[in-house]
Amino acid sequence: MGARRADVTTGAVRLPVVPAVVRSVVPAVVLVAVLLATGCAGPSDARAGASPRPAAPSAPAGTSAPIQVSTSHCGEGWIRPRAGDQTLSLSNTGNVPAEAYIVGVPDGAVHAELEELAPGVTRTLRVSLGAGTYAVRCLADGSDPVDGPRVRITGTATGAGPAVVPVTDNDLYAPAKKYAAYVTRGLKTLAKRTATLRDAVDRGDLAAARAAWLPAHLAYERLGAAYGTFGDLGDAIDGRPAGLPGGVRDKDFTGFHRLEHGLWHGESATSLRGPADRLDRDVRALRRDFPDERLDPADLPLRAHEIMEDALEFELTGRADEGSGTTLATVSANLEGTREAVDVLRPLLRSRYPDLPEADRLLARVRDQVEAQRHGDRWTSVADLDRRAREALNGSVGELLERLAPIAVVGFPRRTS
Amino acid sequence: MSGYDRRAFLRGALATGIAGTVAAGTPGVVAPRDAASPGAPAAFPAAFHGPHQAGVLEPPARRTAVAAFDVVAGKRDELRDLLRALTDRARALTSGGPPPDPGITAPPADSGILGPDVPPGALRVTLGVGASLFDDRYGLAGRKPSGLTAMPTFPNDDLDPHWCHGDLSLQLSADDDDTVLHALRDIARHTRGAMQLRWRMNGFSSPPRPAGTQRNLMGFKDGIANPDTADAAEMDRLVWVRGETPETAWTTGGSYAVIRLIRMRVEFWDRVSLSEQEQMFGRAKDTGAPLDGLREQDVPRYELDPEGAVIPLTSHIRRANPRTPQADGSRILRRGYNYDRGTDAVGDLDVGLVFTCYQRDVRRQFETVQHRLEDEPLVDYITPFGGGYFFVLPGVRDAADSYARFMQV
Repeated sequence: MGARRADVTTGAVRLPVVPAVVRSVVPAVVLVAVLLATGCAGPSDARAGASPRPAAPSAPAGTSAPIQVSTSHCGEGWIRPRAGDQTLSLSNTGNVPAEAYIVGVPDGAVHAELEELAPGVTRTLRVSLGAGTYAVRCLADGSDPVDGPRVRITGTATGAGPAVVPVTDNDLYAPAKKYAAYVTRGLKTLAKRTATLRDAVDRGDLAAARAAWLPAHLAYERLGAAYGTFGDLGDAIDGRPAGLPGGVRDKDFTGFHRLEHGLWHGESATSLRGPADRLDRDVRALRRDFPDERLDPADLPLRAHEIMEDALEFELTGRADEGSGTTLATVSANLEGTREAVDVLRPLLRSRYPDLPEADRLLARVRDQVEAQRHGDRWTSVADLDRRAREALNGSVGELLERLAPIAVVGFPRRTS
Repeated sequence: MSGYDRRAFLRGALATGIAGTVAAGTPGVVAPRDAASPGAPAAFPAAFHGPHQAGVLEPPARRTAVAAFDVVAGKRDELRDLLRALTDRARALTSGGPPPDPGITAPPADSGILGPDVPPGALRVTLGVGASLFDDRYGLAGRKPSGLTAMPTFPNDDLDPHWCHGDLSLQLSADDDDTVLHALRDIARHTRGAMQLRWRMNGFSSPPRPAGTQRNLMGFKDGIANPDTADAAEMDRLVWVRGETPETAWTTGGSYAVIRLIRMRVEFWDRVSLSEQEQMFGRAKDTGAPLDGLREQDVPRYELDPEGAVIPLTSHIRRANPRTPQADGSRILRRGYNYDRGTDAVGDLDVGLVFTCYQRDVRRQFETVQHRLEDEPLVDYITPFGGGYFFVLPGVRDAADSYARFMQV
């Protein structure tokens, strides 16, 4: 499946497309206001010696007067709170980078967030507020969060934008543990089935090897949500020839797809023994190492849609097929991994994600559509799907992905204490 | 806490403009869209509501995308929701404004490729329905426009099924490619799971070179003899449909669209002598004038040339429009765009024409013209390979109306 080649060289987990991450790597160039001359800037502020510091933060044109973000003056300056869709101006008057949330009081739901606001910088933040009580929460690096003064928006104004109570690292601990247990069980099955595959190749029974290949491969594909944690082993076990100079004949083309290519292209048992032994070794190494691999809890919400993003890109297009024509079986296994990721997150999502039932409905619909292409232990290849069925499946997966993607945003761990 | 409900698109909760506020035009007030000066698309305000859809009468915009979708919605209700969602997005996109901000509850609501405040960009959205939508899936067989069929195969065609037909046609036209692509991305995202892209071709129109009608990629001015879109009576006679029976009364204000994707073998064409090229078209390549005239708008006088000594009887313009009283009713409103989609297997340019024409009656108009053109000398240089027949729905009348009206009335 589609562990990216970039992961091979860097060993890095695929970069999650989450605003928090994106913003943290983009320099804060949005609206650099005049720097500050308050006493807030300590000696650790790298800018302190470089720039003169005017008297007060000033707001960019067309926005409100800036609201302070710092541990000591959090939320000061939010003078005329009002309802509606608006753009606030926030200024870090402390001396370390800080995040700021606009939170509801007392529910703690975050209505808008500003990530990594550099000291002395003013940026804008769009938010929709209705009648209610709100506060600015300041999360300066290295300090506990501080809530600013409560502001009340009165009247009957509705139209508050969407908001959600943040998920924390702590919240994700139990789901990640459950998911790790699922992976551990799956690795046991994988190791057993891979040994069966290797034995068939070793004794030269290629028909048995072809029969054993799919169950072993699916055991791996069911782990989907954890592939980012498998690093180089993940690519050795399930990499594609893409990105390898020698393509399918490249010495670094190993694993399930290497065997698939040989088994479905008339390669001899003799020349497949090496790849089969290597796969078996790699799977055993993976199983042995996994208890030590850290399953980053923060990855789990991302996996909710990333597994199926890969399935759409590599399996439903047929690109991952090396001859067995079983990419729909892979999709089925990927769906199981996705469902597991959603299930372990369910306690966190139930109150935070109103579209969860819709995501469940679509998971079931895609499963039914995929299962309709299973005939005993044989599967229709995507190329043989009739056009209507293929469009319907692609459409369902696309809609499913739209419903799964918010889980990555809602479930992204944020600091609350 | 309130979640940002993305399912809302199919329930119409975002029915009120990109900004989430009503930004639609005043019902009943329709800005004039008639064509007068080609090549000035920005002069046409994008009024979304009206008796007819935009994108038919206007001269071609600078950029377009012509797409066909298949509906994958399961039931009739879901098709209706899809058509309403399409209406909402078309209304919102042609109005512009800042998209809603989902905060930390979802990825951004908009692709952002047009910046934080979406400009309308003179976008025109034109939605059509294909004959296949009226099969047994949605119980719409009785509502099919009487003249709507699947596009047949004509003798000089070489059709690729992957580039033909579709349940819906969607044409997005604007001044710029990014506006077109933004709209397509937005619409596809908001209708995911209800319709699936079947084929798509991007097109562009050329500015006058040096004046008058745009040239096609064979270097000839194309579309000179179009009906007069400023003449409402002529448009009613040739373009706009009037539903004659109770079942098809809803078709009033719509029009039949014929879309033909036509590859041009431009390398071959460039190896043909000028006089041969001009004989095939019947026009001078430089001025666009008929071969018996001086200026582009000169009317050929076939009655003085009955043997085709000047303008051959087999030439494109003479076959297409013989200028006889009998042929007058077969005229069509052409709205062609050039396309460029890369390179073919032998290294030739894969370019050509997205031929689109509108008419009241495909049999009487397009097909009559097409049969007259059969085996014209030009067929060696062009290959129709895709497209389809669609019925462009009547305009969305007001904020309460939608493309789904034909399912209900």
